[in-house]
Amino acid sequence: MRRASIVAIVLAIGVLVGVVVTWRTPSSPASSASRGGQLVASIRSEPRSFNRLVARDQTVELLALLTQSRLVRVNRSTFETEPALAESWEVSPDGRVYTVHLRPGVTWSDGTPFTSADVLFTLDAVFAPGSGVVIASALTIEGAPITASAPDAQTVVFTYPAAFGPGIRLLDNLWILPRHKLEPALRAGAFAQAWNSKTPLSEIVGTGPFVVRDYQPGQRVVLERNPRYWRTSQEGSPLPYLDRIVLEIVPDQNAEILRLISGHVDLTQSELRPEDYLPVKRAADQGRLRLVDLGVGPDPDGFWFCLKPDAWRGDPRFAFVQRPEFRRAISHAVNRERFAETVFLGAAVPVWGPITPGNRPWFSPNVPRYPYDVARAQAMLSELGLEDRNGNGVREDSNGVEARFTIITVRGNSAMERGAGALRDELARVGIALDVAPLEFGAMIERLLTSRYEGIYYRPLASDLDPAINMDMWLSSGSAHFWHLGQKSPASEWERRIDGLMREQAATLDAARRRELFDEVQRIFAENLPVIYFVAPRFYYAHSTRVTGGSPSVLRPPLLWDADALSVTGPPSGTE
Amino acid sequence: MGGSGGLRWYVTRRLLFALLLVLLVSSAAMMLTRLAPGDLTAELALRATPEEIARTRARFGLDRGIASQWTAWAVHAVRLDFGDSFLYNRPVGELVARGALNSAALALAALLLATMVGIPLGILTGTRQTGVMANAVRAASLLCLSVPPLLTSLLFVWVAARTGWFPVGGMSSANASDLDWSAWMADVAWHLPLPALALALPIAATLERLQAQSMHEAVGQPFVVAALARGLSRRQLVLRHAWRASLRPVCGLYGLVIGALLSGSFAVEYVTSWPGLGRLTFDALRARDIYLVAGCATAGALFLAVGSFVSDLLLALADPRVREMEAA
Amino acid sequence: MIRAGRALLVLVALLALAAPVLAPNPPDVAFRDLSFAPPSRIHLTDPAGRMTRPHTYPLRLVSRLERRYEEDRSRPQPIRWFHRGRVATVTYEDAPLLLLGADGQGRDLFARLLYGARTSLALSMAATIGALIIGVAVGAIAGYAGGWADEALSRLADFILVLPAIYVVLALRAVMPLVLPDRTVFLLMTGIFAVVGWPFVARGVRAIVVSEKTREYAEAAQALGAGHVRVLWRHLLPASRGFLAVQATLLLPAFILAEATMSYIGLGFSERTPSWGTMLVDAANVATLGDVPWALAPAGAIFVVVLGVNLAVQGRPQILRTSSRSGL
Repeated sequence: MRRASIVAIVLAIGVLVGVVVTWRTPSSPASSASRGGQLVASIRSEPRSFNRLVARDQTVELLALLTQSRLVRVNRSTFETEPALAESWEVSPDGRVYTVHLRPGVTWSDGTPFTSADVLFTLDAVFAPGSGVVIASALTIEGAPITASAPDAQTVVFTYPAAFGPGIRLLDNLWILPRHKLEPALRAGAFAQAWNSKTPLSEIVGTGPFVVRDYQPGQRVVLERNPRYWRTSQEGSPLPYLDRIVLEIVPDQNAEILRLISGHVDLTQSELRPEDYLPVKRAADQGRLRLVDLGVGPDPDGFWFCLKPDAWRGDPRFAFVQRPEFRRAISHAVNRERFAETVFLGAAVPVWGPITPGNRPWFSPNVPRYPYDVARAQAMLSELGLEDRNGNGVREDSNGVEARFTIITVRGNSAMERGAGALRDELARVGIALDVAPLEFGAMIERLLTSRYEGIYYRPLASDLDPAINMDMWLSSGSAHFWHLGQKSPASEWERRIDGLMREQAATLDAARRRELFDEVQRIFAENLPVIYFVAPRFYYAHSTRVTGGSPSVLRPPLLWDADALSVTGPPSGTE
Repeated sequence: MGGSGGLRWYVTRRLLFALLLVLLVSSAAMMLTRLAPGDLTAELALRATPEEIARTRARFGLDRGIASQWTAWAVHAVRLDFGDSFLYNRPVGELVARGALNSAALALAALLLATMVGIPLGILTGTRQTGVMANAVRAASLLCLSVPPLLTSLLFVWVAARTGWFPVGGMSSANASDLDWSAWMADVAWHLPLPALALALPIAATLERLQAQSMHEAVGQPFVVAALARGLSRRQLVLRHAWRASLRPVCGLYGLVIGALLSGSFAVEYVTSWPGLGRLTFDALRARDIYLVAGCATAGALFLAVGSFVSDLLLALADPRVREMEAA
Repeated sequence: MIRAGRALLVLVALLALAAPVLAPNPPDVAFRDLSFAPPSRIHLTDPAGRMTRPHTYPLRLVSRLERRYEEDRSRPQPIRWFHRGRVATVTYEDAPLLLLGADGQGRDLFARLLYGARTSLALSMAATIGALIIGVAVGAIAGYAGGWADEALSRLADFILVLPAIYVVLALRAVMPLVLPDRTVFLLMTGIFAVVGWPFVARGVRAIVVSEKTREYAEAAQALGAGHVRVLWRHLLPASRGFLAVQATLLLPAFILAEATMSYIGLGFSERTPSWGTMLVDAANVATLGDVPWALAPAGAIFVVVLGVNLAVQGRPQILRTSSRSGL
């Protein structure tokens, strides 16, 4: 038995020594430019379909960016509209008819020529009832769908039901799908199931830079260069540069960061969490990663009370919640600098409305601001009749009803939970008590959609940077008017004004006039504060130094949206 | 005594009950998931119109009453048709089978590891209560029981990332599609140790503690003194006689351990990116994919029911007195 | 050894009870400028090298994103003893005494460890005792009575083993009010854990009772006219003492850690109430591993408790142990 003890001890020491000796920080890769090579990226969830029109999650969007094309593309770095499958287009004077000339000589990845019939087919599929497409609302204007006709194989004529400000930008949402592969499924009513994860990969053709070559469920998706890709670089060499992209499915964000730092993965699809900044910075200092400041994110975290009177059912607290002065007082009470420091470790900027400086084309700095002023906040609350009458630190109204609310937020997102906690602490100082209840995502969304909540702290994501494509949030009757869903007619004067202004800016073709109108909308919003915004996070991103040529974007995915311009240098990533 | 007829009746009874149990549990899982707030259209919220959301719900039968949906499902389920997954648009049976297979590979490796480490160490600690080895083993066991599997797997991934000894997760390498069959098997085997170790440690600790306690009791029995007096060597005594007597509690738990391992551990599979049943169950639950949840619950219940049965079988084998009791 | 175990448990209990006095700071106060701050360095000598009263320096934040701090040597803060109702603390609000550093929100980890002991230990002990009591009762009845009672109870145990508690809790959460007082959460969780845990205990107890029932002494006792309960309580159940001891050692840490999973699904204590399980899960991310190792202190605390329990319930020294001197 003693021999066994000695053996065991020696073994344990050996293991320890081995770990210490091999504890390495991987060396930075050598640099030597080359065409070809393989890029390894990580994604957090499985693709549930290869058909972008029937699903909206990030993985499906990423696959569409890699394997499909649209007629026009909005450059996510410069926000300019660029031609893609469409080479050029003309607009009629009234802005309702767009004549689009398709790029000649484009073929699908299986060699079938790309024609206007494919465009018409895709539009058919979008609006076909029962097809299961979920982006139909993105291609409707004032509730009416856009229509198209094809005078010949290289031309498509789009007719908008009304003049539309963003113009051809709307077609950035229309991913063109192959008619020869999907028409039978559409006729049979099985469009939504057509390109699921079981489809033989030879059936999935596209006009994008890559083609899906292999899909190992639960593990990875392997894409290879599409030799028939229509785009070429500035110098005329065919794109993409990369031979292969491997998308590893890594569900845990911690494991993902570890893979990024150790070089097993070249890039991820999301910005860094504030707490991951430090280990990534260390790796960047050692030359293994490149740390990129993407700028301010386009969506800030918002806090709002349910402003639907029916939801409160006579609760006396609604009497002061519905007053804009109450919300303005809250805006005054929060120290936005400290909020940024607590929640995002300082990597955030103060904002006063839903449009952040990250949305460069549309951000307006001329909105009413509510500087940090606790005395002012307290005075405003007192004016509303809210005083701490019993000395317990929480204000009550004249009937003794406390200003105490239950705020729900999403569990599992540390920045969100930190934010809710920080908000609670800030408001406790002025006598408003918040009880934070983090809920699972499905549970929170259900309460949001049925208006069964008092207040929410959450980050609603806009569908598009252009407000005209985001009408559902701004219009009082919109399905994304989240603080007061289900309005048949505008509930307040300012909402009526916003309705009018938004409709006008959507129908105006003059860009400057649109900006003017939307600036006014932002001003009215910030004045009435249905939703209170505090800070917008600054996004940091990191990728391997192997990767070059990309234009990082503040929208997800930060780098792979422009995958055909990426190239890798040096030895392959990972040691597997 | 019933003899072999009694045994056969006992086995049949247990099997029938196991099937009933599986049906009950998968129905309960499906209905409880349906009752939970939110459904699979949650991620479309605020980004699609109510009409689109309603149409999506109708497409998946979520506008039907819960009773009618269950009936439709049950009628198909008894024919082993578990419907299609909402999330992945593929038959549930296929998804669950693949996940179960992956989890089974991991479970087997973890079980082997845990048994080879836990049982012998338990025998050691059970017979020798003092000494550096015994105390070190006990301390190590208790430490393994004190740390959640989420943390151990993350720790292992972290160490693997730094030292490069093992792959940092996944079931196969990035170039797996290029490998031929035998090379692929070797690749998977190379990826197995990390998650298997994370999975095995708490189980090894549990087995060690159980074995130690029962061994400790077994060597206190009168027959041990008698055997010692008869001149039996200590080693023979321990390994031949005392161990057999000490197997009872271990056997009682072993089948359950097998069942639990086969249903997949969510934490380990999530952190080490192993595409197993635990991860599938969690994703299905989070997305409220009712049919997939039912499928996963069926598989999990089946494994656990079988595991419980195996436990009882092992118990009967190890302890003849129990066997008589069961057959009577 | 038993005494050492008992002493350890008593010590932990005293520490937990004395938390408000022992902790230098309240557990829910967030020092916003000290996120992930390292433990305070206690200096015994002043800059000139002479011995003075123990003091610390306030930590000044150099870079928030990079989590760099440096001591502000210009303002030594002496440690005050028995000041403001605490054994040791520092007067100045911006220079808290952080014996184990701070967590991500800047809360004193040592204080949270002490206060968390109350929550985690109370919950897991109550749940373990509950599971043991129910398990012993059910297992004894099933093993002793045999026949239909045995069948029914064993199948009930199987059903509970197989049904994952997660679905039940998820659906339960939907019908409960949004904000639950901690007391309700405590009772609910104790109940759920006790219900989930008793089948393991019952299986083992049943097997022991079944095999002990056929022993001569049991039959003798019955022949002498002892009632069923007496036979069970005095003669059969003591044989399961060892098994119950091990079960206690296994269930206790499992319940402490399971509280974190419950919390994730939505049935958890309020954010202000620390608990070891949740603290460990919060510490499971890349930021803490390697940089903030003191955040893993709750694992050590759980280990100490489990060690104490294990030592305390060990049982009498056995025959073979005395012969260890002769070696093997």
